[in-house]
Amino acid sequence: MFFRRRLVVVTLSSGAVAVMLGATPETNEPADAPRTSVVPAELERKAPHGALESERQVELLDGLQLPETADPWLASPYYRALELADNAPTPERIALGRRLYFDTRLSSDGSVACATCHDVSRGFTDRRAGSEGIGDKIGRRNAPTTMNAAFFQTQFWDGRSNSLEDQALLPIVNPIEMGHASGEAAATALSADPTYEAEFQRAYGRGVNYEDIGRAIAAFERTLIFLDAPFDRFVTGEPDAITTDAKAGWVLFNGKARCNGCHQLNGSNPIGTNNKFHNIGVSARDQDFAGLAREALSVLETNNSQEAVDRLALATETSQLGRFMVTRNRADIGAFKTQQLRNIGLTAPYMHDGTLRTLWDVMDHYNKGGEPNPYLDGGIEPLALTEPEIDQVVAFLFTLTDDRFSEQNASEVARQRAQATESRPIRDDERAARRVLPFERHDNAEPRVEETTP
Amino acid sequence: MMRTRTFAAHTASFLTLGLVLALGCDSDTPTPSGTPTAKPTAAKDTAPKDTPAEPTPPAASPTTASPTPTPAAATPAGVEVLLCDGETKTTVPAGTPGTAIAGALMSEWLAKHPEREWTTQVFERHGLKPAADNHALIGQGQGQTYGRVSEQDVLVWKTEVETLALAGARVFHNGDELGSTVGVSCDMCHPHAANTHPETYPKFQPQLGRVALLRDMINWCLEHPVRAQPLSADDPRMRALEAYMYAQRSGVTLAYGKH
Amino acid sequence: MTTKRTIRYKSVETKYMEERAQALSGLLNLDRRSFVKASLAAMGAAAAASLDTPFSFQPIRMAHADIGEGFRIAYISDSHLYERDLNDRFVNALLRAVDDVNALDPQPDFVLYGGDLAQLGQAKELDLGAQILKELKAPVRMMVGEHDWYLDMGEKWRALFGEPNYSFDHKGVHFVVLNSVVEADFWTARKMSPMERMKTVAGLDNGWQSSFTVGDAQREWLKTDLEAIPTKTPLVVFSHSPLYKLYKPWNFWTDDAEQVQAILKRFQRVTVVHGHTHQLLTNRIGNIHFHGMLSTAWPWPYAPEGLPELTVQMARPDPFNPQDGCGDGQIIVHPDGLADKLYNLWNRNPVTVKKTYLASKGKTDRPEGSPRSSY
Repeated sequence: MFFRRRLVVVTLSSGAVAVMLGATPETNEPADAPRTSVVPAELERKAPHGALESERQVELLDGLQLPETADPWLASPYYRALELADNAPTPERIALGRRLYFDTRLSSDGSVACATCHDVSRGFTDRRAGSEGIGDKIGRRNAPTTMNAAFFQTQFWDGRSNSLEDQALLPIVNPIEMGHASGEAAATALSADPTYEAEFQRAYGRGVNYEDIGRAIAAFERTLIFLDAPFDRFVTGEPDAITTDAKAGWVLFNGKARCNGCHQLNGSNPIGTNNKFHNIGVSARDQDFAGLAREALSVLETNNSQEAVDRLALATETSQLGRFMVTRNRADIGAFKTQQLRNIGLTAPYMHDGTLRTLWDVMDHYNKGGEPNPYLDGGIEPLALTEPEIDQVVAFLFTLTDDRFSEQNASEVARQRAQATESRPIRDDERAARRVLPFERHDNAEPRVEETTP
Repeated sequence: MMRTRTFAAHTASFLTLGLVLALGCDSDTPTPSGTPTAKPTAAKDTAPKDTPAEPTPPAASPTTASPTPTPAAATPAGVEVLLCDGETKTTVPAGTPGTAIAGALMSEWLAKHPEREWTTQVFERHGLKPAADNHALIGQGQGQTYGRVSEQDVLVWKTEVETLALAGARVFHNGDELGSTVGVSCDMCHPHAANTHPETYPKFQPQLGRVALLRDMINWCLEHPVRAQPLSADDPRMRALEAYMYAQRSGVTLAYGKH
Repeated sequence: MTTKRTIRYKSVETKYMEERAQALSGLLNLDRRSFVKASLAAMGAAAAASLDTPFSFQPIRMAHADIGEGFRIAYISDSHLYERDLNDRFVNALLRAVDDVNALDPQPDFVLYGGDLAQLGQAKELDLGAQILKELKAPVRMMVGEHDWYLDMGEKWRALFGEPNYSFDHKGVHFVVLNSVVEADFWTARKMSPMERMKTVAGLDNGWQSSFTVGDAQREWLKTDLEAIPTKTPLVVFSHSPLYKLYKPWNFWTDDAEQVQAILKRFQRVTVVHGHTHQLLTNRIGNIHFHGMLSTAWPWPYAPEGLPELTVQMARPDPFNPQDGCGDGQIIVHPDGLADKLYNLWNRNPVTVKKTYLASKGKTDRPEGSPRSSY
């Protein structure tokens, strides 16, 4: 069933056009029935840092019926380029990675596992603006979802990891996330359980070691592919899979709303990213952004070394400079990775610092042309979308959630709609309608609603 | 961008000449109003000036039968010159060279008949690369029907395709014709259709979400920088625009998918 | 790190992490020699891996140590404003450029406006532009472009900004601003209305217009102006047309360029900064250095022929970013009277064309190019 769906989805583009024009694409296969919802909307969560207990998460995971080997999607040449030669997926590696994903021994105080912030019951993220790590420390970045993370060229909001293997290792030794003193300390913590040794041997032919932890988790994450959404059924020949509003939203997505300029959603690249880094002005909502950039630049112009960059990166505010901290290219100041749109309904709040609570807030941000700053991407401009048009794009975005989470998705629609009805703090009609131009008013007065002090 | 005069322009020129003669312009006939006139001769005395435009009108009237013209009356405003159609007139300063007078009269006349010489005008303003030369085919066929190519065939092929390309040039350079709501026309980013690179289509354009043909990219440009309504594939303007872009890129190797 | 992983490709991030690990492990030893060695190794590794790219990383604010007694000028050019109700995109771009220049710290000595403030020379467009430029903190020197002039032959421009050509001295450098878009009369014979004339000139590829010139009268003025200036004085000439002959069909051209160059020839250090071309251009003729300016409104493609050898093309702009290929910039005048030219390309790494590149006729300090050049 996976293969069949994949082959049909490869013709997504022409199919989409055909369906949009009202024609029924010819298909010999009966339309696939939607997959049943697995994750309930309401859950009681009792693990530390607001997570669902690991055992219950594992139960849900079983219900999701993930493949035991890598998803066929990842066999295409397009994605083979992202794989590392020494980490071909085998059932042993995937099983080991799955176990590690839920193991809190990977944190120095035994309270945090990957699954704490990438919780199966919370959209494989944690539904918080900044994630909470050991010692209840809150970080500055919003946890991206591990769903479909395998499709990215780079990991993290600033792309500082070039593979899932790389990415899995870093939170383990980050002092405010999982907090082990070193990779060796993490490996030692795992070795307390004697069954790990055999599992590592079976998977990699080596004993417990830090790097293989990353490999195994990555192998497991490559099974977390969730591309069975109502939108996919629509595109492959089921005109009623999504509402008329959502169809109108899809047209806007590719037209007036200009989303597809960066969020590329097509047969070859199904998750809605171009893997590039854009400054859309979210970090500039903080009033000091331009000054922050100047400060970083002035430090780096006198001392261009890596040590200087590191020192700046550990100073918390400069994380707002995004990709620049990795490449030190001036073009990258305040630029963050284009995130995926798949399952976006489940992963509120949005943006790298989680400052946009609902998809309506996201639309408001783009509609007014982002926040002007000296490094704003020129492709961000006021869209002049009307309220119904915003609703249509949001309706479309909610159709990108995998059917196995449909109950949660429906609940999120209601929750976000209620929040949006109550307030739209980002909204700026003057700028959206171009009565005031983006660079005409650059003293953005809206302060942050929540303070996230570590 | 070579500025070779096309046959179309020549044809148009000959038509104009014919028109002028048909109006009964004759050096011995005084004008009805009695106003002294100067001969609207052109091009016989002055060589075309070396300017980027070559606006010298081709109306080289046969000068063999022109007697000495009556001296024109000089007024403080200049000399009033009347075209032999008896209607079109213009005032030029004394001492204006003949080419300029003819140009002035032509402009005056064309202003009243704007559609008449559009190909010449567009060509003079923007130029066009010539279409392929098919003269080698003339008389090479084996039979009298299929494969028989005549001079007329070759001229028709050339004239028709270049006319469509010139129509495209006209639309290309005209924001109103494109329907732009922001005063933008294609030539503002693409002078002489530079950087339209039609030889690179079809190509997959992620921002369009699909494999784009030239017309898809044209429509994207119409929607975004030009802020006009997109054109359907068989809209005459779309066909003309494509023709113009292909024409201007004549000779460049096809390289579909090139980004 | 004990085991070596087999990695199919290394991204800049991996290299960065490896070098970082190396550099940091070297720092554990507090001995100064080791520290220096580790730093140098890190920087060497970074340079080898092209992470240290002095041209890509170019802050808006230049270190003062570089220019000593020299000074900086900012420029904004070719904004092509329409009235806001018709097209606000160009207005927004000019506002952005003004923001950029106002954010410079320290402020430049003055700002040059490079011409083509209006798109169709209309009074409302020029008024709008003048109003926006008033927001600049530094003093502004205006230069006229053809789009500003040919509707009313400079009447409104003069009323707003004064005479189009003038000169002044600043910190030992003699500056000349020219009106180099003088065209021979092509409109009278054709009985064109002022707007028809303007629209003809506004079409870059419109063959009815004449070539740009400086003109006899202005060349005489220039001769007289420069008479008393010693040849050792650095000269900076602002001109809208390039003052050399690049591509006639697009008026990337000054018809009397040779005569103007002859007037400038006797000076040892001459820099010409020109607008009109909306792209990165570098040229040297004799001892004259030529630099183009970016437009805030849109970029032009490179001409099919006539491109100066020294020009390293800017990366081909991506149409999906309407501001790609646009920007503003700076002219950094060194104590020796030669100038660097900084192109502040929006959403791209800035490009600096250094005086040494031109002085060495292209042998040293070549600016970084891009594989994506013109089609």
